[in-house]
Amino acid sequence: MTHRRMKLPMINRRNFLAKAGLATAGVLAAPYVSTSYAATKELVLVTWGGNYRQGMEDGLVKPFMKETGINVTVLDTPDMAKVKAQVMTGNVQWDVFDAPGSMGASGATNGYWEKLPSGLFDEEDLTLKSKEFLVPFFTFAGGIAFDPARFPDGKHPKTFADYFNAEAFPGRRTLRTRAMETLEIALLGDGVAPAELYPLDIDRAFKVLEKIKPHVAKWVEATPQTVTLLQTKEADFSFTYANRIQASNRDQGVKLGFSFDQNLNGVEYLAVLKGAPNKENAFKFLSFAMKPEYQASCMEAKGGAPISRKAYSLLKPESLEWLPKLDATNNAYINDEWWATKLEATERRFKEWLLG
Amino acid sequence: MTVIASKGAGPFIAPAAILSLLVALVPVIFIFYNSTAGGTSTEAFTSILESNLFLRAMRTTVEVSLLASLLSVVLGYVVALHLARQSARRRAALMVLVLLPFWTSILVKSYAFTIILGREGIINSFLSWALGAEVVLPLIFNRVGVMVGMTNYLTPLVVFPVLASLLAIDPALYRAAEIMGAKPARIFLTVTLPLSAPGVLAGALSAAVMSLGFFIVPALMGGKQDIMLANLVDFYTREVLDWNVASAVGVILFALVAIFAVPAMLLRGKQQGAR
Repeated sequence: MTHRRMKLPMINRRNFLAKAGLATAGVLAAPYVSTSYAATKELVLVTWGGNYRQGMEDGLVKPFMKETGINVTVLDTPDMAKVKAQVMTGNVQWDVFDAPGSMGASGATNGYWEKLPSGLFDEEDLTLKSKEFLVPFFTFAGGIAFDPARFPDGKHPKTFADYFNAEAFPGRRTLRTRAMETLEIALLGDGVAPAELYPLDIDRAFKVLEKIKPHVAKWVEATPQTVTLLQTKEADFSFTYANRIQASNRDQGVKLGFSFDQNLNGVEYLAVLKGAPNKENAFKFLSFAMKPEYQASCMEAKGGAPISRKAYSLLKPESLEWLPKLDATNNAYINDEWWATKLEATERRFKEWLLG
Repeated sequence: MTVIASKGAGPFIAPAAILSLLVALVPVIFIFYNSTAGGTSTEAFTSILESNLFLRAMRTTVEVSLLASLLSVVLGYVVALHLARQSARRRAALMVLVLLPFWTSILVKSYAFTIILGREGIINSFLSWALGAEVVLPLIFNRVGVMVGMTNYLTPLVVFPVLASLLAIDPALYRAAEIMGAKPARIFLTVTLPLSAPGVLAGALSAAVMSLGFFIVPALMGGKQDIMLANLVDFYTREVLDWNVASAVGVILFALVAIFAVPAMLLRGKQQGAR
């Protein structure tokens, strides 16, 4: 590989065909010589677009490139369909995949990820332990948002029990068009203890949802709408995410409130694709991304709660305000393993229920 | 088409035809192949045809597509008629306005529509003020909202083919009709409408085919019941990763498009043959 790379600049019209032939042979041979890739200086990272990507680059990718000399190519939008296609055809082009919980877990079940070698992370420092195929990268807090100008303290729901209590807190609410998260908050709202949330009591959750149905202004498919519906006063209270409200308060005139009294935290993972061309670099990247200083700089730049305990002390006070409290006991985490096997049947039931 | 091809245009059409065969037909064949798990099973089809979710989504898709295309054709025709009567310069300026919604992000548009159609939106506020009582018409997050959003997107697709047909009508025909004593309504019905029919057909077809594959507009501006087949394709492709079922839904969507497209093409062929 390095040999070929060194010669690349000398390609000219005369020897182009010969080089092209060599390159093709190299590509065809690639699956058989994957160990030699350990020496590459490349890495492909698939992550989310927009501000998120900017934050990843500034807080994590640039320091990584500086320290290791590995050149990172950042691509937009983690898509499991593309992972499946790459692994199925044996033509793997991505190395590190930035996976929301459900994607991470379904990839693990389907065998799309490389097993993570032990010793990559300082497990003592992590609030959530690393798994066989995945390392928790950060968490995002789902919770209740409201407009404090219209609903001052005492008038707006703070916990999920409040959110599902339309008599005590009259107002039009939003819920998502998916079972994941919606069933969880319904059960938390019905008084299930966060520690006993899984396995989800699906029937009970649907009973709770049945009661709140008339008070739902909009079942939201696209996440930005969880915020814009509050801004346009179409909804009085909205189930959304702390980082979304943080960003909208920074950019817009309307200052919205977000309750940290009770949150449903989702976990974002990092994974390495099975047969990734730059596997060793990918492991290096994962290890780097979980170090306290880069957990802090990355979350500072793009939002989200670090998994590294030590990272918390490195964050600015104004960023800490937007994170769920580390030791809060009434917060729950989405259990992605539970969902990995139940997704299709539960989502189908949920969507059918929505139609009814 | 056949008329042109027989005059020796084959070699010129061939590259484009081969390219579109490769980029369109091959994946379509793959989808058909996938939907039956390689020709071995009809399980994917039976599982979706037994699913209430799928049947409801199919009904919604057909209803929304038909109604949205119909509304777009009516609206688009009126706009095209108006454009056809303007001077060329004025028409160019107005055409930019027609295209404007085409170039605007759907998220931005849905936000704007919420401001117009929402509970405390422009329309409801105005009506409340005019009537002196609080009026809260449900204009968004239901089927009405879907129709507004879809026609907003589809109307330009209708305007352009209809406009082309209208501009191709020889003005002498109008004068002849007038000289013969026809009233404007009669001229419209006997001259304008029949001669612009190919454009209407083309516009209606593109609108219908386009709307069958829609899902973001119903998701943003519709109610909880406005779930489309395209939503299900997305769900099975990217979330469940069950490509057999996703392909089966795709095949049925493809069949629906064919139901719209084939009669329109036959009709069009007939019209051209008649001329």
